[in-house]
Parts: sequence; structure tokens; C-alpha cells
Amino acid sequence: MNSKSKLILLALVPLSLASCGEVKPCLSHLEDYAFEMAYHDDFNILQLTDIHWNYNTSTIKSKVYLDKVFEATTKHIREAQGPDARIDLVEITGDQFMLANAYHVDSFIEYFEAQAEKYGFKYAVIWGNHDHHGIYNPNWLSDRFLKAPHAIFYDANDDLYGRSNFVINLTEDGSENTETFWQLANIDSGASFSERALSISRDYDYIRPEQTRWWLAEHNRVGADVPTIAYYHIPQEENLQAWNAIHDQGATYRHKFFKLEGFADNGDPRYASDFIDVGRLNNLKAAFMGHAHNVDWTVDYDGVVIGLGVKTGTELYYAHIDVNSDDPAMKEGLASVGIDENFDLIGASLVTLTDTAGSFDLEHLYLNERASGDFVRWVKW
Amino acid sequence: MKRFFAKDNFLFSGFDAHQRHKSLFVAGMIALLFLASSFTFVNALYAFADALGSLVSGSMDVMVYDLLRSVPLFLSCFMSIWGLLLFHAYFRNADEARRTRSLYKNSITILCFGGVNVLYILIGLAAGKFVSLIEGSPSPIYPLDAFLYSLLYIALGIFGLVYAKKLESKLPYVVPSRGPIVTKARFGYCFFVSIWMIIGFFCFWGFLLGLFIIDFEHGHLAYGIALLLVYLTNFCFLVVWEFYYNELKEEARKRVLLPLSIIALCVSVPVIAYYFIALGLNLDGPANIGFGVSPIAFAANLNIAGFILVAAPLIVAVTAFVKALVLRKKSKAE
Repeated sequence: MNSKSKLILLALVPLSLASCGEVKPCLSHLEDYAFEMAYHDDFNILQLTDIHWNYNTSTIKSKVYLDKVFEATTKHIREAQGPDARIDLVEITGDQFMLANAYHVDSFIEYFEAQAEKYGFKYAVIWGNHDHHGIYNPNWLSDRFLKAPHAIFYDANDDLYGRSNFVINLTEDGSENTETFWQLANIDSGASFSERALSISRDYDYIRPEQTRWWLAEHNRVGADVPTIAYYHIPQEENLQAWNAIHDQGATYRHKFFKLEGFADNGDPRYASDFIDVGRLNNLKAAFMGHAHNVDWTVDYDGVVIGLGVKTGTELYYAHIDVNSDDPAMKEGLASVGIDENFDLIGASLVTLTDTAGSFDLEHLYLNERASGDFVRWVKW
Repeated sequence: MKRFFAKDNFLFSGFDAHQRHKSLFVAGMIALLFLASSFTFVNALYAFADALGSLVSGSMDVMVYDLLRSVPLFLSCFMSIWGLLLFHAYFRNADEARRTRSLYKNSITILCFGGVNVLYILIGLAAGKFVSLIEGSPSPIYPLDAFLYSLLYIALGIFGLVYAKKLESKLPYVVPSRGPIVTKARFGYCFFVSIWMIIGFFCFWGFLLGLFIIDFEHGHLAYGIALLLVYLTNFCFLVVWEFYYNELKEEARKRVLLPLSIIALCVSVPVIAYYFIALGLNLDGPANIGFGVSPIAFAANLNIAGFILVAAPLIVAVTAFVKALVLRKKSKAE
């Protein structure tokens, strides 16, 4: 190595290590994180999760499936609420992609823009752990969603952890000047992190304390008594706590649907989030997430409904529900939904805000494409 | 510097114009096929990594579906690597009979890969497994791109056969411009060189792609640079071996190996140290920036694959250093 190369190398180290400058505090610009939509009773929120477009995905086939989800949901809503009812908001709760490239992203946004136009909804995008894992620059992905006309998304380059933290305030007339009836908190639950530089593996991420503080500030901005539903990707510690309380300690929390794998949260108490605990004291009504494809188990855990959305589509992995299975967890799930034929645990979840007092309905859609005619079942929470 | 690059050190120093042209052609083809191999390898790796994700998640049916859909990607990768090996190995062989046999065999192999790929895509279309020839994903025109790429290799295979049958005797490759193929412990040698070549493919593409997809903002600048340095070091070591060390005469190689290995140590140790310092300061880094350039480990949230890439330059440098010491000991004993 000549002296010139040595100098360049030596110069790079301090230059790159000195990359931390002054960053804007998130609490100084709370208004930038807030979006508004007009509230009405029977406000319908369709949750799609873990769509997972990847290198092996036939996006054409995946779009056909998504078309069916939108059609089935619209039909279901109109049967229940009348011919003018529609999907108001689609919450896409993470892992839209996994090792996807620019083509996947562009096709995805193009598709959702077209559907948003057709059905008249907006779609909110939250990042999952695999959305960080693309063959694209994460900043470019953010930029694409920021520029999509029907997408609701915000990525602040400030001191708040994560890239898709924002709130949607459902107000009287859709402007920030009128009363907020509901708040939808969208939170980036991260990807994963190494505990030490030499750690062989990484831990799943969690909602960090500063994110909880940020949400609380956003919530207090519109009124401490405003009911809130949170959407994020990685389940937090409470899902497992509730499951264990029911199955190990005989707790009688209301619960339903399937849990056929672990929740895949961090599981380490050192990295347990305080979000649900703080939310419980601040009118958090529910929290819905994704991440574990073989789970759509939902529980009313001390006043907060916590549940995983039904995985959308067949990418990566999903559970085959077998009515003849001896697996106790499968039997328990089957008994709870009352379905007596085999099906795959894929579809979507629908939340309908029924009033301004904090009431909502939750239904899970199981939609399987079959040559003999598609399997479509709605199961109420 | 003179002792590294003296003209007499190189195999081509005694070449006539015809041999020099041929040698340049070989080097050019190796560079071109390296680019193609690197690109198709990473493409195949992404597809494989996604399928592996389904396997580790217990969805064998999804994995099989994924693998079947991406067969054209895998075959494109095999074709490219086979083409690279053809040029890399063929022109090292001074034995005319072996050379012709090798060209004949490898041309047929490339032809078969190309033919199978074309057939696979056509059957897939007929059976409705591909919705159309430009179904899209992972590229906007997949599988048409793989189809056309296969036709190119079919043409290369046919050319190889024609060359082997008709031109080899008329246009013989008189002097091997490359270092001789190792005969002692050949399996182990080939295994490690293959692994190193794969790391080279990956790091070359990782470096190029990383320039565009790594997020150098959000406090990731130090770790982003560390990642790029690791990839660049790996790739550069392979280039030095292929285009410099292998082009040297036997005597020159013995002479430069020790100083070359010391330089390699002086580069790899600081790069590794810097990588771990940057990682220590940004433990969220590996999962949050440019993950597309480290896809091997995505499924199980592992850092280990990254560590292998980080360690590779040091392993290469230490191996070269030990070899140089052994050679020096031997020559002293003689």
C-alpha cells in the first residue's frame, strides 16, 4: 500500500464516524406527522398484511388475488351497510416486499393507486421488517410512497426511530380544524438489531420508548379521550403475555382465531415495548399487526383488543387449516371460527368504526382461490 | 513497484502479436463473463433466498412453486458461470487434445443449459405456469429476458462446437497465457477457489449495487462505508489474483507472493477493524441499510453470513502469506 492509499483510508475513518450531526426533535413538528380524513359512522378499514412481493412472485397472479379481496370486501360491506358503503381506508401493515426490486415497488404502487381510484379509498403504508430488506434504497422506497397520490405515509428524518410513524386523525369534516373522533396510530416496529457488534444473530425489533412518547404527544394534541387504534407490524410482548395468561394461568380473556406459530416478537424483557401499557391508560382501543403469517389470533387483553391481521396472499408462507388435525392449537382455532372444511389462512381483516364512543367491529376474511369456486368466509370477532 | 510490474514478469512478455491479441480476447471474455456471472448469480441468489425463506417457515409447497418459477434464473446463472469457467480453464491448457476435449464438453454443456431453459419457458407457457412471455417480476419482461439470454448461450455453445471441430487445428492456441492448473490437492483447491469466486461475484455486485441502494443517511454513513470497503476489498483481491498473479511467470510469482500477501494483510486488517467499529456504533445498521446486498442471512436474522464476507479478505491474505513462507522455506532448503 502506498502512502497515498494509506492517507485515503485514514481519512475515511474519522470522516465516516463523524456522521452524527444535529437532528430535529420529532416533538418539535408533531403536525407534520398528522393526516386527516373525514369520519362517518361505519368507517371501514381494511387491513392487508404481509403481501410479500419478492423475486419469485408472479405479480400478475398476486394482483388477481388482491382484486378478489377488494371485490369480496366491497360486496360484504354493501350487504351490511347499504349500496353507498365502501372501503374508506386500507391499512397495509408491513412486509409488502421482501428482497423486491424497483419493478416490484413500481408495480405495487401502480396497482394500489388504480384500486384506490376505483374503490375510492386511501391506503396507509407501514413498514415491516422485510420492507427494509429490498434491492432498493430505503429512501427511494419512502420517496415513492410519499409521491403516490392516494398513499398516506410519512418518513421524517429526525430523532424518532423508524420510517413510517404517523397518525391519521378522523375528524368531523376531514380537516384539522374540526373535532377528532378517532385516531389511527401507524407505527414502524422496525426490522431487527444486533445486541453487540459480534452477535451472530439479530433480535426482532420492537416499538421503542421514544415512539410511545411521540404517539402520546400526537394523541394529546387531538385530545386525551380520543379513542385510538394502532397499526404496526411486529407483535409486541403483550400478545404472548395474553396467550400465556389464558393457556397457562386460566385467564378468561375473550379471544378468537388461530395461533399456529410463535408471535415472533423479540421475546426479551429487556426489549419489551411500553406502547400497549401506555396506550391502555390513554384510550387505546385496539392494536392490529402482522408479521407471523400463521397467526390471526385476537384477544381482548385488559381492555385493549390485540390481534394479528389475516395474512394477505400466498407469498412466502401461510397455514393450511386442516379439520382433521390433532394439533390442539388448530382445533382451538377451528372451534372458535366454526368452519368445518379445510382452508388456507389467508385473506384480510376488516375493522368498522361504528360510533364516536370507541366501538368497532372486527371481521376476518378467509379467501382462497379454488378451481371449483373461491372459498370466501367472513368470521366476526 | 518495478519488481511487481516488470514486463519480463508476465507470461505474455514473449508473445507475438497474434498471441497477444488472443490473450487480450481471453481476458476480455473473462471480464465480460464475470460481469454476466455476477449479475445472474445475485439474481439467482435472491430467488433462492426467497425460496429458502419459505422452506424455513415450513411452507414446502410455496418453496417448490417459487423454485419452479425461477428455474430460468438459476439456469441463466449456471450458463454464465459455465461460460466463465470455460474461458478461465480452457486457455490454461497447453495439451491440444485435452483442450479440444474440454471445449467440446463445455460447449455441449452450455448448449444443454440454454436448450433446457428455452424448452422450460416454452413448456411453462403452454402449461399456463407463466401467464405470458412477458409476465414480469423480477424484471419487467421476465421470462423473455431469460429466454433471449439462453439463445445467446446456445449460439455460444454452437460456436464452441464449431471451433472445437473445425477451427482448433487451424487457429491453435499456441502458448497458454495463464498459470497452470493445480494438480496437487485439486479438489480442495477448486472448492476454495470456487467459494472465493462466489464471494467475488457477490461482492462485486454488492459494491456496485451498494453505491445506489445503501442508505447513507439516518446515521448509517459509517456502517455504509464499512460495508462498501469490505465488498471492494474482496472484489479487488480476486481481480489481483485473476488478472495479475495468474498472468505472472512461475519465478515472478514466487518473488512477489510474500510482499503481495503483506500488502493484503495491511489492507484487510484495517478494513475488518473499521467494519466492526462501525457496526459497534450502529447495531441497527445490518438490518436497515441496503439489505439487498446481504441477502444470504435475511431469513433467520443472522449476522453470520456478513461475518464470512468480512473475514474473507483476511483468510485470503493469511493463506497467501503462509504459502509465501512455505515457498521461501522450500527454496532455501533447495
